[in-house]
Amino acid sequence: MTIRTEELLLNVGPQHPSTHGVFRIVVKIDGEVIKEATPVMGYLHRGTEKLAENLNYTQIIPYTDRMDYVSAMTNNYVLVSAVEKLMQLEIPERAEYLRVIVMELQRIASHLVWWGTYLLDVGAMSPFLYAFRDREIIIDLFNEICGARLTYFYMRVGGVKWDAPDGWIEKVRDFIPHMRERLKVYDDLVSGNEIFLSRIKGVGRYDAQTAIDYGLSGANLRCTGVARDLRKDAPYSIYDRFEFDIPTRSEGDCHARYLVRVEEIKESLRILEQAVEQFPEGPVMAKIPRVLRPPEGEVYSRVESPRGEIGCYIVSRGKDSPYRLKFRRPSFVNLQILPKILVGESITNLVTILGATDIVVGEVDA
Amino acid sequence: MKGLVKGLGVTFRNMMKKNITYKYPDEPIQMPNRFRGVQHFEPEKCIVCNQCARICPTDCISLTGMKNPDPESKVKLVIDTFDLNFEICILCDLCTEVCPTEAIVMTNNFELSTYSRDDLFKDKEWLAANNTNVREENNVSLLKAKKGGAS
Amino acid sequence: MGDLLVQPLSWGSFFTFVMMAVLFLLLILAMVTYAIYFERKILGYMQLRPGPNRTGKFGLLQTVADVLKLLIKEDTIPQKADRPLFRIAPMISFVPSFVVLATIPYSENLYFADLDIGVLYYVALSAISTIGIVLGGWSSNNKYALLGGARSAAQLISYAIPLVISAVSIVMLSGTMNLRGIVEGQAGWIWQWNFIPQIVAFVVFVIAAVAELNRAPFDLPEAESELVAGYMVEYSGFRYAFYMLAEYVYLIAMSALITTLFLGGWHAPAPFLSFIPGIIWFIIKFCCVVFFIIWLRGTMPRLRTDQLMSLGWKVLLPLSLANIFITAIIIEIIKAVNG
Repeated sequence: MTIRTEELLLNVGPQHPSTHGVFRIVVKIDGEVIKEATPVMGYLHRGTEKLAENLNYTQIIPYTDRMDYVSAMTNNYVLVSAVEKLMQLEIPERAEYLRVIVMELQRIASHLVWWGTYLLDVGAMSPFLYAFRDREIIIDLFNEICGARLTYFYMRVGGVKWDAPDGWIEKVRDFIPHMRERLKVYDDLVSGNEIFLSRIKGVGRYDAQTAIDYGLSGANLRCTGVARDLRKDAPYSIYDRFEFDIPTRSEGDCHARYLVRVEEIKESLRILEQAVEQFPEGPVMAKIPRVLRPPEGEVYSRVESPRGEIGCYIVSRGKDSPYRLKFRRPSFVNLQILPKILVGESITNLVTILGATDIVVGEVDA
Repeated sequence: MKGLVKGLGVTFRNMMKKNITYKYPDEPIQMPNRFRGVQHFEPEKCIVCNQCARICPTDCISLTGMKNPDPESKVKLVIDTFDLNFEICILCDLCTEVCPTEAIVMTNNFELSTYSRDDLFKDKEWLAANNTNVREENNVSLLKAKKGGAS
Repeated sequence: MGDLLVQPLSWGSFFTFVMMAVLFLLLILAMVTYAIYFERKILGYMQLRPGPNRTGKFGLLQTVADVLKLLIKEDTIPQKADRPLFRIAPMISFVPSFVVLATIPYSENLYFADLDIGVLYYVALSAISTIGIVLGGWSSNNKYALLGGARSAAQLISYAIPLVISAVSIVMLSGTMNLRGIVEGQAGWIWQWNFIPQIVAFVVFVIAAVAELNRAPFDLPEAESELVAGYMVEYSGFRYAFYMLAEYVYLIAMSALITTLFLGGWHAPAPFLSFIPGIIWFIIKFCCVVFFIIWLRGTMPRLRTDQLMSLGWKVLLPLSLANIFITAIIIEIIKAVNG
């Protein structure tokens, strides 16, 4: 009797605890080895770009909060900086410093979420809760300054909406050494753990040329040795005033991405220290007309979000709402590498690789 | 092996610490003053300028005005109906930012859950009665005018 | 209990046996309820949260509420599933884990059966629960369940072997397979308990036991974040409760076996403390083992299937085999020195 083996078509479905949202991957597996993987997205598409054609620039900002809901401040900033570039506005100093402080805190919060959920995917339950405990401190800081815990709507064209309340800067200053200590605890718990290391070392490897060809950005690119960070290569806001390094690794596997992101938290803490020291007095909002009408033209503005390069492209026809608004979302582009590196891996490694790519499905689908 | 043992030590030490859970709903949570919660509406202050309905990103405010029955006062229109659809309100506080008389302000209340969708359509009376925990700073430009200059 | 066993069977002793078995079953069910409760509480404390604390005072009735909820759920069986196998699979998983509890001596006078082949009986029966898992995975007619069942079968069979071989070195040291005899051979001080002379066997046995129980870090068959509950994915309601019950009873049985084989059973750590009854010492040691297994669950990430297999075959098996040889050599040397 001849034995016939078939490939199994498995649906790592839209409802799955590890796909970080409603995201689907259709895999063809032979035993436990993946032969072909096709990501299917669009389950969270809400039509942000189309809705924006009927809204004021100020009214679009809450919609950007909800795109990449884990790092909402960077999304606010990319839209606001695009409009400011088009209108060629001068932003007051204090507003710039507040923006940088808030964006770096947001980077730490986003990396903490990534860390906790990545370890949950790999199997350890406790680091998730520790990470969220520390993120809670950051979220409380944001709650005090802008009144919301997740969808901040803090930046406006021309500055920020609220000034820091009394005592807020001191709380940020106290947070920095606290977070440094917590990073040591996380190292003890996870980074030396042999089971964890054997799970992620050597998994999902790709080289620098592949990463550049696919247009990856953020930690996915820096793990292969390409030292590219928009805060250094195309500095926006006042990042050229701060001293910080770009962490890079050369192995290109999941372990490298893990280490790069942990180092990024440390670098963000460095930037925060310098920003809190240099914090000036002054107004927080520039003089802007009551109705924002950018001149006709096109602009593309890009920002280093925790996931990579997020860009905003606006075509304006001189009216108070854009003619076309397009976001270049990093998670959407970073996903393209999945069909290539998943071939030949086992099913368990699918979750590890997807977690290390750090996608947020709200951003994949916009 | 050493990494594993260190990890076990961390969880053991954390077991000895006190837990950090908030005891909500047994104890109410105090939100900071700037928290954007459910709105509070004061019908006497409203001049029916329609700015809030125009600026709302999701079009959840609908209001109608009527001629002021009091011929002496300077205000031409008073508010007749004012409805907020909380199914789509995203609590972004743009309406409070543009209101020139601070008729609509935000409170720090966030408990909005109901058992039926009809209850989510709040009208003028409910919003006027929702006056606990009202936020102090609402309209930034009026705030600057009060404080006199840059903050 | 011993004298009841050696008498010829009469109606009176038969009813005594049945009553004791039923009482013991109820006691084990109560223990499982509180084992689940303590697991959730301990995991909660490790994660800086309180665990269940609302149903009943301190959340003590939480498991009762959960079991009640599972009992009143609809009994769904997928349409293309293999019905007889689907129904039997949880039972095949549960029965061996309860039956092996009869062989374990809880104190000098409290035991149910005094089998001279206690260790062999235990190991043979615990291998039957593997079939329950494989059947559950197969009969669900679901790809995820099949993957989970296949992984689990491979894992359970691979780790049963180091388990047995490390138990063999204990049998060699004590000279008998009777569990009461093994415990009596550990009388005296704490350094005479078997875990110190046989430290390698102890470590190998504990790791293999955690793998046999399908618990973290070896819980790939029920990996919540990958295969969404693995072989149990189509089971709901009371059948799911049965699988959970089987898992926790097996946890209790395995911890009791570790206590018996390695930690001195009912003996006190020092002879002057033996005024405290043996059953209390047994319970204390047993609780320490259960705590350690729960502690492992809260800390460790999961091992991948191929790493699990290579750990079982390439590390644990050679270690336990080497342990047997070294034990045999040392026993011969001691025999030659003494007489």
